[in-house]
Amino acid sequence: MIKKICDVAIIGAGVVGTAIARELAQHDLSIVLIDAASDVGDGTSKANTAILHTGFDMVPGSLESRLVARGYHLLAAYAAEVGIAVEKLGALLVAWSDEELANLPKLQAKAVENGYKDSVLISATDVYAREAHLGKGALGALYVPGEWIIDPWTPIVAFATQAKLAGAEIRLNTKVTGVSIGDIHTLHTSDGDISARYVINAAGLYSDEIDGAFGIKDFTVVARRGELMVFDKLSRTLISHIILPVPSSMGKGVLVSPTVFGNIMLGPTAQNLDDKSASGSSEDGLKFLREKGSRIAPELLGEEITAIYAGLRASTEHSDFQIRAHENRYITVGGIRSTGLTASMAIAEHVKELLVAGGLSLGDTKALPHVSMPNLGEAFKRPYQDESAIAENSQYGEIICHCERATRGEVMDALDSAIPPTNMGGLGRRTRAGLGRCQGFYCHSELRKLLEKK
Amino acid sequence: MKRTEVDVLIIGGGPAGLAAAIELKKSGVKSVRVIERERVAGGVPRHSFHPGYGLRDFKRFLSGPRYAQKYVDAAVAAGVQISTSSTATTWISEYELEVTAPTGLEVISARSIILATGARERARAARAVPGKRPAGIYTTGSLQQSTYLEDLEIGTRAVVVGAEHVSFSAVMTLKHAGVKTVAMLTDKNKHESVGLVRFALGIWYRFKLITKTEIVEVLGDKRVTGVRIRRAGVESVIACDTIVFTGNWIPDNELARRGGFDIDITHKSPLVDAASQMQRPGIYAIGNLVLPIKAADQCAVDAKIVARKVAASLR
Repeated sequence: MIKKICDVAIIGAGVVGTAIARELAQHDLSIVLIDAASDVGDGTSKANTAILHTGFDMVPGSLESRLVARGYHLLAAYAAEVGIAVEKLGALLVAWSDEELANLPKLQAKAVENGYKDSVLISATDVYAREAHLGKGALGALYVPGEWIIDPWTPIVAFATQAKLAGAEIRLNTKVTGVSIGDIHTLHTSDGDISARYVINAAGLYSDEIDGAFGIKDFTVVARRGELMVFDKLSRTLISHIILPVPSSMGKGVLVSPTVFGNIMLGPTAQNLDDKSASGSSEDGLKFLREKGSRIAPELLGEEITAIYAGLRASTEHSDFQIRAHENRYITVGGIRSTGLTASMAIAEHVKELLVAGGLSLGDTKALPHVSMPNLGEAFKRPYQDESAIAENSQYGEIICHCERATRGEVMDALDSAIPPTNMGGLGRRTRAGLGRCQGFYCHSELRKLLEKK
Repeated sequence: MKRTEVDVLIIGGGPAGLAAAIELKKSGVKSVRVIERERVAGGVPRHSFHPGYGLRDFKRFLSGPRYAQKYVDAAVAAGVQISTSSTATTWISEYELEVTAPTGLEVISARSIILATGARERARAARAVPGKRPAGIYTTGSLQQSTYLEDLEIGTRAVVVGAEHVSFSAVMTLKHAGVKTVAMLTDKNKHESVGLVRFALGIWYRFKLITKTEIVEVLGDKRVTGVRIRRAGVESVIACDTIVFTGNWIPDNELARRGGFDIDITHKSPLVDAASQMQRPGIYAIGNLVLPIKAADQCAVDAKIVARKVAASLR
């Protein structure tokens, strides 16, 4: 038997890995994208703060600054093309102390250094004119109109879908257990060996371990837990911008932001952990968020909590992204922080350049098959509101998840899609079903039945 | 878009909504329309398969599903129009609502609108219980639907959080599903159900009622492996594969709030006057939308009284 050798193997199907797979799928290459989880975007990527960053507050001159600024435009255009919800809210960096107020002009100057020129300093009066429900004591703000909110889940599914339709192989439930380095690398996995000329490590929390298997030690990943509270949709009218903290000697603080799904999010905490699987929320973390939240938007704390998440960011001892081409046709894409969503498509472009510089011949370029993603955004028409969609398929008129108004038609579409969900979480990320305030009081059993039937 | 006019539009086809609809028809109101978002009308009793329903209204001891069916049958016989799989989504004007159904969109205008959207149990997140998010976590509602309506696999050992009336209903459902209840936890000093119920079920199902205890962490990765609890400052772990969060009700007040109606701070129910009228003439709230929680038959009995007043106001 002749073993198949692919051109590029990508380890990790988060937002970065899927973006790279999509980018490379435009060329005449055989690509395999693998992940230990049963779904794409099931690790760090799923608990993102869902902001499309301009990169105004990055370290000027850093790789992260460049890729976030470029990725912002790429992802905004991609979102418009395939139908991913974006709301152009703008951010307010609100100063609550004299120190923070004094920092605002510095942040504005830094934004310019990062190539972002549209931020404006505004007075406390203007802050409250924009945000009437903000807590007392705001002294002023830096307004950054270009900071937007985005659906953080659909890009991953869209990237993976396009890559798959263009011929990339996606192998889930496939965990790398070891590697044999050679002219052709062999990845030993829980699902057999995979041979590839080039290997890309986009393994997030485990990127240092994959590096280790290739004999490289450039950084250590520390899981930095970020806990998030999501408040009921009925709170959405309280806040209309992304409320960002001003970095100060007191640390980074937390943000309050609307989500495209129509909720308000509070978080994240930042706590370094030894355990890369400790993605649970904690009593102290939630207490800290409540304290912070009650200062920023006191009325918010009187609203119902819809969900609590904890995500693990792959932080390293370095402040910048850790993207390096090594000898032996091996590239590490590590140290990708919460800006990874915004930067994803620019990271993919950058990685492609590194591959070419490392000798990969791309071959012919082909147009990617067009994909059209289901809209999960509250600001745009959803199937339950769409008379013609319901006329065509009555299942779009059958609301299964009452809280999120997700219909049977959308659930069936997701189950029949190119990258179908494998669990309730995945189904929720594709349809919003089951993610609402009742957390499945009504729809849990129905959704579970449909999923298990599949 | 389809447009319809009715005399009275009722949102929610549980015991309160159906009882009101029947009474309105009996009182001579011409067109009464009930909008029910589930595929079958009847409300929560539909999936509560133990006896204990109907004492106050039917003077009989019925199971939940039989009780629900009696109301649906009576409503149909009385000439009430029930639309199932239909959701009232948006206020179009003060007396008009938009409804989504498999048949399409419809704007229904009414001389009077009664909200009977009920209440739900606070889920784990709403109680801000820390920990991971493994499978095996339910409310009584989702447990009953999984067990009785869908016959899904539940687990082997359960901890029930809460000691209200409904919590004992959860214990009975767990038993039916072949799951042993190992403990019932409450942060209160004692249970909040009828003494006899607690006594009889405690002996029958042999579980421990642990009072003055809070649940501080859900344990388990993919599947629940236990709960960490704290009693008088001391933490311990109970091993289990299933957790049921019971009671701690919150009214389904979304439609009321979206309509601009004020909400009372304690229960988060819409403010109503003595006649159950909300802050706009002709708009009412009945049943468990107006907390504190009541038994289904009590909701129905109260709803009939409101319905007679609504009928009188329309004459």
